[in-house]
This record gives sequence, C-alpha cells and structure tokens, in this order.
Amino acid sequence: MNELSTDNHKNSSSLSIKDLLKKVFFIDLIQGLFITFNYTFTKTITERYPDDEKWIPYKRFRGLHTLNRNKEGKELCVGCELCQKSCPTQCITVIPMEDKTGKGIADRIAYRWEINLLRCMFCGLCEDACPTEALKLGREYELASFSMQRQIRSKEELIKPQPIPVEFEGGVIVRATLEKGDKEIKVKPDLSVQKRWW
Amino acid sequence: MGQEEIRGLLPVLELYLSNPLVIMMLEILLIFIKVVVVTLVVFSLPLPLTYMERKVAGHIQVRLGPMRVGPHGILQPLADMIKLFFKEDIIPSKADPWLFRIAPVISMVPVFAVFATIPFGDKITIPFINYEVSMYISDMNVGILYVLAIAGLSVYGIILGGWASNSKYALLGGLRSSAQMISYELALSFACIGVVMIVNSLSLVDIVKAQSGWHWNIFYQPVGFVIFFIAGLAEINRIPFDLPEDEGTLGAGYHSEYSSMRFAFFMLTEYVAMVSMSILAVLLFFGGWNGPSFLPGIIWFVIKVVLCIYFFMWTRFTFPRYRYDQLMSIGWKVLLPLSLLNILITGLIII
Ligand code: SF4
Ligand code: SF4
Repeated sequence: MNELSTDNHKNSSSLSIKDLLKKVFFIDLIQGLFITFNYTFTKTITERYPDDEKWIPYKRFRGLHTLNRNKEGKELCVGCELCQKSCPTQCITVIPMEDKTGKGIADRIAYRWEINLLRCMFCGLCEDACPTEALKLGREYELASFSMQRQIRSKEELIKPQPIPVEFEGGVIVRATLEKGDKEIKVKPDLSVQKRWW
Repeated sequence: MGQEEIRGLLPVLELYLSNPLVIMMLEILLIFIKVVVVTLVVFSLPLPLTYMERKVAGHIQVRLGPMRVGPHGILQPLADMIKLFFKEDIIPSKADPWLFRIAPVISMVPVFAVFATIPFGDKITIPFINYEVSMYISDMNVGILYVLAIAGLSVYGIILGGWASNSKYALLGGLRSSAQMISYELALSFACIGVVMIVNSLSLVDIVKAQSGWHWNIFYQPVGFVIFFIAGLAEINRIPFDLPEDEGTLGAGYHSEYSSMRFAFFMLTEYVAMVSMSILAVLLFFGGWNGPSFLPGIIWFVIKVVLCIYFFMWTRFTFPRYRYDQLMSIGWKVLLPLSLLNILITGLIII
C-alpha cells in the first residue's frame, strides 16, 4: 500500500499501524465522500442571470453615464464642455446652446450631448470634472446591442429617470426578467425581491 | 370490445397457445420484443444519465447544473443530442478512414451485447392468458463469464479509435486504456469468482436467486466487493481511474479527434458501460431484484442500480485522478494479490 501514499519520504519509510489501517479502510476517501455529500445539500450560490436574477451594483459603480436634474426638475448640465475636455479618450461630444426658457439651471444648456460607448473606458474622469454634478456614471451595465449605432447614446436617453433609483443601496441580487427587444437585450430588475446567498 | 367478448375469446386463445408451433413462434416473437425493448431502453439511458451526472456535479460544486432548457434544465440532454447530430463529422486527413469510422461501433456493440444475459427481474405472469414471461433475454449457464468476456471486448474500439486517429494524444489514451483493461480485468474476474464459489453457479439468475432473503453477497464477500468496485471503476474508465481520457495530460484521450455522432457513440458506450457495471454490482453483491415485498422486484432492481450509478458519479466529483504508475501498482500489487487471497480464504471457509 506504500505506493498509495503521497506522504514525503520521511514518513513513507516508516508507515505506522494507524496510517496503514487508515488506508486499508479508505478512511480518507470516505471522509472526502462525506464532504462532497454535505455540499450536495447546501444552498447553491449560482446567480441565475439573466433568466431570474440580476446583480445590482453598489452606488460607487461606474456604468452607463446619466445626466441628472435638480430637485425642481431642471437640467443640471450647463454645457460647459469640461467633461469633453477631461475625457482621455475623447468620446464625449458637447454642443452648448443658449436657452432662456428655464429648462436648465442657467441660461445655457447642452444642445447635443453624446457619448460614444465604444471608446469610453468608464474611468469616471468626466464625472469628476463636471462642476454642476450633472454627469454621473450610473448602474446600467447591459450595454451589448445588435448595432454599432446603439453604442452612441445621446442626452435624450441619458436624462431620463434611471430604472434603479439613486437612493437604492445596491450590492444585492434581485429577481429579474429577461426582455428581448429588437435593438438590445435587457434584464429588468424587480427591486422588491432581494436575495443574498452570503 | 366489451369485457364479455374478451372472456369469450379466451378459450380460443388457450387452444391456440397449446399448439407447440404457436408456442415456438410466440417464444421467438417474445425474444424479439425483449431484444427491441432492452436495446431501446439502453439506447435512451444516456439521456437521463448525462442530466443526472451534470446535476450531481453541479450540486456537489454548490452550483445548480443545467437550468435553462426546460424546467430545471430537464430537456438539456435532448438539446445536446440534437446539437451532436447536426455537428460536422470531421475525419482527420491522415487518419485511417475505415478504422476511424468503425471504432466507435466496435466499442459500442459489446456493451449492448452484455445486456443479453442480464436479468432484470424474476418471471412475471401475464394476466388472463397465464403466460409466463421471464425478465431476461436469455439465462446462459455461463452468464457471468459471458458478461466479463464481452464487456472486455469494447476496449478494442477504444484502442482502434485511438490508433486510427493518427494523433499522439489519442494513441496514448488508447494504449493506456488497453493496459488498464488488462490489469484490472483480472482483479475484476477474481473478485467475481468469490461470489461464484459461494453460489456454485455461473448463471446470473442463479446468483440472484441464491441471495434471496437478505443473504446478500456483500455480507459474505466484503473484500470481494471492494475489489470488484475499484476494478470496476477502472474498467469503465471513470475517475479516479479515467486515465485513457485524462483531460489534464491528454486533451481528451482516445476520442480527441472524434466529433459529432461518432463522439456521441463513445459517450454512449461509456454511460452504458457504467450502467452495466452498476447492474453487475447489484446482481452479484446486492441481491439483484430481491427486497422487501411491498414493491415489485423490478423496482427494487432499478432503485439499487440508480443508487449504484449515483455512487459512481459521487466518486467522480470527489476524488482526484491517480497517476499512471500508481494505477498500475494498485492493480498489480494490491488488488490482484488481495483478490487471490480472497478466493483462497473463501475456499477455505466453504470447505
Ligand atoms: S468615463 Fe472616462 S472615458 Fe468614459 S466618457 Fe468619462 S472621461 Fe471619457
Ligand atoms: S455634463 Fe457636466 S461637465 Fe459635461 S457639459 Fe454638462 S455640466 Fe459641463
């Protein structure tokens, strides 16, 4: 039975009776079997994404950009182009315009605000540069799409309220449903049913 | 047809059934039906077994296993089968085309042939016509010898497949499996001899009948059973002895070059071999279809076989793989002397 042992050389020369008995009755192997048997009936840790469950990231997560409004519902972005200048990959395009209707917080808003996600590396520098805290990297991370065009997101879309509210703490797995559109595939979370396996 | 009419027909039927020619025809027909049924069942067995294996693996590794096709992934094997069907069947340009094509079949036929002698239950009587049907295709008087001999043949397919692929990994896998087969076939047969000595018969039906009333052979032959089980693991190439298809060192071993249906045939062979080894273990050591009488024998038989298969899967996801030299030394230096000793001691006790 010596060959069975994986012990180092010191031990294998003097095989004690106890070790021998252990090998003859397969004690180690049986212990191993019991360990795996116990695991068979423990709760699984599989996250059933995208069918049933989805991970909601923490607030600090850097996902798809969002443009925000203040409490009165006015656009915070003043079209200062600082985000465009600070972006290392130059993927933001801002064209400002004058606006006296009071849509924004000042008399200047962004006429066009576009982000090219194909170039963005989600570094968050644009977020830091923004003086009015209009720009935030949100928690949306399902960015795959069927066409390249979809990867350029503009202000009209980014300024809409986010599916996951800003106050939501995150860091949980929630119940979700898979939705297949013709442009992209989204997993819609249902924040009321949460689950933690840890 | 109403109940009355069937009753009316019965005397005519009985008259027919007393004619020797009719009986012979019926018998032939019955054997034919049995062969077809057994083949179909065995052919479709890998479907539930792959599912079971993946679920067992998943839960042992605290995963869920297949979940997406059908409720709880129950249709996954079907999806896999369809996928295998429609995949391209690649034959390497330098492979021996004939041997390459025929090797999966050579390995598949023997494992099916084994089922010819395997008894699944005792005789049952069909109601109304009082006709006795045996739950086996044939009760050979050398049953166990036949099973061991035929099951050993399937290694030819593996060797040929490995050799014909013209790939070093496949060849190594084939060679390993032949060496493994030779060393463990001996221990396996010797372990069976202990049982044969107790029962005094080579017929599988007799072996099971001798174990009725809780006289299961595992109580009389524990060492024999352990040897049988370990050698059986090696025979059907499962972890910890799955060196012919050792993913770590050989790619996929003897079926590295196979794809599509030919690969499926090898997979089928492997699963059917596992089933037949479990069945053999149940027949030889766990009393076959014997069990408490509140369930019919065939159900007991199935339960035992499923438990045995579960154990094979359980070990697969628990143990690491042995090294090749360890495999050889376990086979020749431990199992073979032990099985000889087992025979000797059994003989002494019987005398
Ligand atoms: S996250 Fe970084 S790369 Fe992306 S737009 Fe902002 S500054 Fe540019
Ligand atoms: S998002 Fe912020 S930094 Fe960018 S243009 Fe608007 S206000 Fe300026």
